[in-house]
Amino acid sequence: MALTITCPICGRRNGYEFRYGGEDKGPRPAEEQLSPAAWCDYVHMNKCVAGIQKEWWYHRDGCGTWFTVYRDTVQNLEVDPPEATS
Amino acid sequence: MNRLSTPSTLRVHPDQKIPFHYGGKQFYGVAGDTVASALYAGGVRIFSRSLKYHRPRGLYSLDGECSNTCMQVDGVPNVRAENTLLKKDMNVAAQNVKGTPETDWMGFIDRLDRAMPAGFYYRTMHRPARIWPVALRQVRKMAGLGTISPDFQMNGTFDEIYPTADVCVIGGGPAGMTAALTAADQGLRVVVLEARPWTGGFFDYRTAPYDPEVQLYQQAAELSTKLAQAANVRVFVHTPAVGVYANNLVTAFQTGTESDPFDERYIEIRARSVVVATGCIERPLLFENNERPGVMQIGCAHRLAHTYGILAGSRAVFSIGHDLGLEAAVDLSDAGVTVACVADIREDGQDPGLIEKLAQRDIAFMRGWVASEAHGKKNVTGVTLSAGQGTIHREFSCDLLVASAGLTPVTGPLSLAGARLEYDYHTGFFMPRDLPDRMHAAGRMLGLSHPGAIETSGMLAGLQAAADCGASVSEVVHKTRQWLDGLDGPEKGCKMVTAPVRGRKSFICFDEDTTIKNIRQALEMGFDAAELIKRFTAAGTGPGQGGVPGHNLALFVAQYHAEAGLETQPTTIRPPLVPTLIATYAGSRPNMCKCTPVHPSQKKAGGIMRRIGVWKRARYFSRDFSCRDEITNVRRNVGMFDGSTLGKFKIWGPDALKALQRVYVSDMTTVATDRMKYSAMCNDDGCIIDDGVIVKRGEGEYYFTTSTGRAGATVEWFRYHTRYDGWNFHLVNLTDAMGVINLAGPNARAVLEKITDADVSNNAFAYTGYREITINGEIAVRAMRLGFVGELSYELHVASSTMQALWELVADAGREFDITNFGLEAQNVLRMEKGHVIIGSESEQRTTLHDVGLGFLWHRHKPEAKTVGAVALRQTEHQQQRLKLVGFKMDDSVRPPRDGSIIVDDAVRGRVCVARHSLALDAAVGLALVEDSLAKEGTVLKIYEDECEGRLLHASVVPTPFYDPLGKRLRM
Repeated sequence: MALTITCPICGRRNGYEFRYGGEDKGPRPAEEQLSPAAWCDYVHMNKCVAGIQKEWWYHRDGCGTWFTVYRDTVQNLEVDPPEATS
Repeated sequence: MNRLSTPSTLRVHPDQKIPFHYGGKQFYGVAGDTVASALYAGGVRIFSRSLKYHRPRGLYSLDGECSNTCMQVDGVPNVRAENTLLKKDMNVAAQNVKGTPETDWMGFIDRLDRAMPAGFYYRTMHRPARIWPVALRQVRKMAGLGTISPDFQMNGTFDEIYPTADVCVIGGGPAGMTAALTAADQGLRVVVLEARPWTGGFFDYRTAPYDPEVQLYQQAAELSTKLAQAANVRVFVHTPAVGVYANNLVTAFQTGTESDPFDERYIEIRARSVVVATGCIERPLLFENNERPGVMQIGCAHRLAHTYGILAGSRAVFSIGHDLGLEAAVDLSDAGVTVACVADIREDGQDPGLIEKLAQRDIAFMRGWVASEAHGKKNVTGVTLSAGQGTIHREFSCDLLVASAGLTPVTGPLSLAGARLEYDYHTGFFMPRDLPDRMHAAGRMLGLSHPGAIETSGMLAGLQAAADCGASVSEVVHKTRQWLDGLDGPEKGCKMVTAPVRGRKSFICFDEDTTIKNIRQALEMGFDAAELIKRFTAAGTGPGQGGVPGHNLALFVAQYHAEAGLETQPTTIRPPLVPTLIATYAGSRPNMCKCTPVHPSQKKAGGIMRRIGVWKRARYFSRDFSCRDEITNVRRNVGMFDGSTLGKFKIWGPDALKALQRVYVSDMTTVATDRMKYSAMCNDDGCIIDDGVIVKRGEGEYYFTTSTGRAGATVEWFRYHTRYDGWNFHLVNLTDAMGVINLAGPNARAVLEKITDADVSNNAFAYTGYREITINGEIAVRAMRLGFVGELSYELHVASSTMQALWELVADAGREFDITNFGLEAQNVLRMEKGHVIIGSESEQRTTLHDVGLGFLWHRHKPEAKTVGAVALRQTEHQQQRLKLVGFKMDDSVRPPRDGSIIVDDAVRGRVCVARHSLALDAAVGLALVEDSLAKEGTVLKIYEDECEGRLLHASVVPTPFYDPLGKRLRM
């Protein structure tokens, strides 16, 4: 796999070792007064950005950590976090 | 044929003969031969017949760039004979031949070319529409090269490796080797990929001077030796790169030698920097019959003599556009070939030294002349040379025509990496512009021809690659670049693509039998982009992957549209760059599975083992697959079952309870120490994904089980759903560390009492109880009173290391009760009678906790836990038109339907999850997911089985559990 992912514990590794965990949508919403539509959006709706997005990855064949990285979805390459490049 | 033994560049051992078979006859090659060189030495000139016209085809490039030498070897079709080393007793056959390669009765098709203009299968045979299917069948029958039987089994061993490197060098010629050595000098790890079975590139077979003392092949040998001795360089020979991807990922495959444990292996290299030094191939010269056997490229004739010791012919004519042709003419003349003349397309620019050498050998040298037609039916017998735009002609007789328009760079790896290629008018090359980050090009592909310049460009690329890896070499880079600028730069290249011919039999693509005339037809029809012409005429879509037509097609199109000023772009290249066996991509397919600690004991006891998920498990313990004895024994006596595949986990830490509250639907705060609770996990849609028991072993410490299939995903699941919380808990997968015996049946207690001093009476250890007991005074066991099979039973969890000992103790203690093993199938029937669900059997992707009747497990008043699935469980609780789990009983107690049969009326209304004949009830019963309108007790279900031919089975919905509805037996 051309993609590499940088695990905060194990370092930069082949993308084969990881499982994608979806876009970073923030913590689970509180259940009180949560409308079905809002809940459905949280679980199922994605932004599908063509560009840089923050997303979750799981080091399945490694340390077993969930972490976020930034990835350019157009080139399918991990990129530096925006704050580091600005 | 006697081999030349004199060239010091020889790569074969003429004294070591290797026998093989071709066309029903025994042939002999020599050690180091390829299949193609051995056949050529044995007098074979026609290697195959062409795709469309069945024209004879022979050796052309010697590097497998076209389908001419694709042959059937040991039953495998489309083997590239030029790239395949000869092995003892190989069976070689020609392809696409009706009759023999020499006498092909389909050869007459060659005269019918007018019936097959460019894109004929898009344009003809379509009107009236009904003739197309007929024509299609005929075209299909004719088309295609090799044949393979559908039940063909690929022999051999296929491997894969994933090396990482600081620098990956593609190409082991002088530039590549120098780049590798330079980068290695900086202490970097370097991988070199070379397609041929040896390094050396175009230095390897040449005796021309490198400097006054050293010949080129000697310099190549010196570099190769240095490379082999460098500790941090790994050289893969006979390993063509087939793909280059983003992030500097390079893929290749390696052909194994006899000492390798694989026949072919896939290599995937991750490098921090990549150097591409793939050099050049020759650009074919296009003229009438330019692919007649006996017509070959300069390197082919030259390497046949110098590498394999074979003289390609006795009387040769050269029609070339590069100094390498002059050098080859001199060398072949010295080796014993009569060179009738050398026609050079170029009017000037030749190396005067080489012209002088030709003169010394009385070889006629004709500037500005070019071959316009080759003669001879099966092999070249003569050639017409032309000059003055085809106004003057001269005929020569010959049996070898060395023809080449010039050089063209091998840009495949660069194109794949996304480099932009730009036509360069000086060299006539497609030159890389805007190389991707951390990728460099070096050597002949940049137009360089001076040996020193080639090596220096390799050095520069090696240094730049080292800089990518963090070496501080900027000063040396600067100096090397200056030095390179002082050496001979790119040389002027020959621009001619086609001799002045009409092109009816001038083949631009050998694989697809595409002629210049076809290309002209496409151009005249209005096609202007090479990319589209490629598709319309099929030029470059064959096994050679555009090796022969590649750049010629783009250049020819550009010449045609010269006045339009279109940008000249080669057609798109895609991986694999070189034909690769699918077997190589498939790899070794190891059949790996897990076995429980008592696997051998179970097999010995007659267990019939089946692969189920990642495990191998005992499914039956007799050939009676209804498991009558196993089931009866559990119901009336006592049985033992290996439940070691169950997922087993330990979770502990200050926030362990919070994590359990998050993923389990029940309220875990109510579990007291040394007590356990049965619960389930849902996903965010409220669909059930797992069930199991949770034991509280102390404050903040829990032991829990999951279903077998879910064990691998559980840690990930816990961590995913707590990823934002930063909770402090540890979670360990003990699935393989613990074994489980399920001791079940009315006599289970009597057996257990024999091996433990602990009080396991019903009062001290009641149903749903948990105890940690010692067995036989030394084995620590976590015992749970559960009732999955519906009888008094103890689930004994024990360290894997003591599992076998416990298994034997239980078996010994149970002997007086006639204890027996029971397997998965018996368990399946027992639990079905009890109405207990197995996730994945009685649930599917869309089945919620409510649907399977486990809604009572859900504790709805813990919103602060944000339990996974809770929101959806609330929303779907009273949803209509869902599939609900029901029990059913077959009417008239006919046989049970097959699992997975569908339940129908005028539409599909559900499906049977599991159905068996129940001994306890003496009836066929089962569990099914049906639409809620059919879920009411007494409803008749119509069941459709595969191949039932309309005879539906009938069943009625009945309450579950079928067996012991009050649950008295598990509380005994």
